[in-house]
Amino acid sequence: MVADSRLSVPAAAVAAGTGDRRRLREARAGYLFVAPSLVGFLVFVLGPLIAVAYFSLTRYDVLTPPEFVGLDNYRRLLSDARLHTVYLNTIVYVVAAVVLINGFALLLAVLLHQRMPRFLTVIFRSVYFFPSLVSLVYISLIWQALFQRDTGLVNYYLGEVGVGAQSWLNSTSLSRWTVVVVDVWRNVGLAMLIFVAALQDVPAELEEAAQIDGAGPFTTFRKIIMPMISQAIFFNVTITVIGAFQIYESIIVLTSGGPGDSTRSVVMYLAERAFSSFQIGYASAIAMTLFAVILTATLIQFRLRRSWVHYE
Amino acid sequence: MSDTALTAGRADVVPRRRRMTRRPTVGTVVCVVVLALGAIGMLAPFAYMVVTALKSAQHAYDLPPDWYPKEFQWQNFSDAIHGPLPLLRNLWNSAFIAGLTTIGMLITAPMAGYAFAHLRFPGRNGVFVLLLAALMVPIQVTVIPLFLIMRNLHLINTPWSLILPQVTGAFGVFLMRQFFLSVPRELFEAAKIDGANEWTIYRAVALPLVRNGLSALGILTFLTSWNAYFAPSIFLNSQDSATLPLALVLMRGPFSTGQINIIMAATTFAVVPAFIVYLIAQRWIIAGLTSSAVKG
Repeated sequence: MVADSRLSVPAAAVAAGTGDRRRLREARAGYLFVAPSLVGFLVFVLGPLIAVAYFSLTRYDVLTPPEFVGLDNYRRLLSDARLHTVYLNTIVYVVAAVVLINGFALLLAVLLHQRMPRFLTVIFRSVYFFPSLVSLVYISLIWQALFQRDTGLVNYYLGEVGVGAQSWLNSTSLSRWTVVVVDVWRNVGLAMLIFVAALQDVPAELEEAAQIDGAGPFTTFRKIIMPMISQAIFFNVTITVIGAFQIYESIIVLTSGGPGDSTRSVVMYLAERAFSSFQIGYASAIAMTLFAVILTATLIQFRLRRSWVHYE
Repeated sequence: MSDTALTAGRADVVPRRRRMTRRPTVGTVVCVVVLALGAIGMLAPFAYMVVTALKSAQHAYDLPPDWYPKEFQWQNFSDAIHGPLPLLRNLWNSAFIAGLTTIGMLITAPMAGYAFAHLRFPGRNGVFVLLLAALMVPIQVTVIPLFLIMRNLHLINTPWSLILPQVTGAFGVFLMRQFFLSVPRELFEAAKIDGANEWTIYRAVALPLVRNGLSALGILTFLTSWNAYFAPSIFLNSQDSATLPLALVLMRGPFSTGQINIIMAATTFAVVPAFIVYLIAQRWIIAGLTSSAVKG
């Protein structure tokens, strides 16, 4: 890209010797234009990232200066049973979110892609997508009311079809699935929207050709459409993984992490260690594990994407 | 984005019509029915919210539930607003933070996006990759040092603790770069030959060409800030500085009136602005979100 844009610089300007001066001016403008974003990145992302890495090697309670303790905090990670619980919970959220959000979203997108009156497409797309734009706090407040054991509508309608009342919000086995339901319900529309956009870019001729060659709808989907939308699949999987690792406010509202730690997420535990117990050093080590996990997930997907994704 | 829609539109015209004649309408009906059932599931919680917000205290928990309002207790809204929490103040805080964040982002991100798309300077690709790497560092990872920075600057419990870290951002730069890349370079070259300086070219030629991109970026930035809970819950610890999502959680918690109809009135009060923004700006929201995915 750089090479061909150089070619497009008018020959007359270069010949006149103004090219160098102009190139200098352009470079200076480039640095100035990028400067605010770069400063923001250094001060609010890279600086804090380095700081959190440093704090993770210290004992620090905010009141007295940090004291270097080497890898103590990381050793503590290994023996902290609560941390293992919250990580396990979070992994359940991540796996469930990736599978259910993307599965339902792909199904909805394919249904929405079928020939139907235009106004129906627009209405359905809007309805499914709207919750993704509403703060998860408000969504969780609504669902918390719906999931109440005695007064909630969910148990009422289940009772109508003969299913007994469930403790959706305070059962050690069930509540984490309640969190999953709310998460999937809220985020499925965004993933669907991205699949719909990708499906629109699949040339209709390709589907036609496959069908003329005798491929059934499922074969066409698997062999023709899936490879064509693989980039969207990777994008959606990446954002659902990263999003689910950050899960926080829905749990605060629905269950406050309970009963016990059965629904608590890594981020909730991190915030509790840092801002209630003021174990800044230990909380920083937890933050570093979160960073490592997100970094790994992103890099794995980049690598897989390079070998799997079909580019036109 | 816009050209995605265009190509999709063109592809629609001929082959799809052919397809329709072959495809049995039964399949279409099944699709519509399944989608409609799902749509009811998506709308029902909001219907419950609105209907409950308009109920009186003695009917708020009635079962079977009503799916359309039978009583109109508008009093609930003023009860929520004049309750133990300063909801109007919280609404203003949310609007102020989201508004200034959006303005800041609309200044910084297009400038950088333009530079990465159309200006040549040594180190450009390196800086771009560095900025993109920021997408892998969520605020949950850096919140501890950010909190300490804000505390040292005495910005805790002020809107600035949330505005400052958000007026720049990798997503915005990336999004705007995508939009600028879709503008032919020749348009700027012509202005350059006329002797215009880079700033003039950017302001007068480049920016007006990516109006859709600016709308998408502005709306997405606003909504992200408007909906945020994690960072505000760490940086804002007083009722007066709280944003609307924080206030609603407080309202349900220790300050709860215990009345679901009042809480749902407050929730309706909070959701309606998002709904209005959605109705007005759906086109740009969808363009902004899908362009980063499909073209990424």
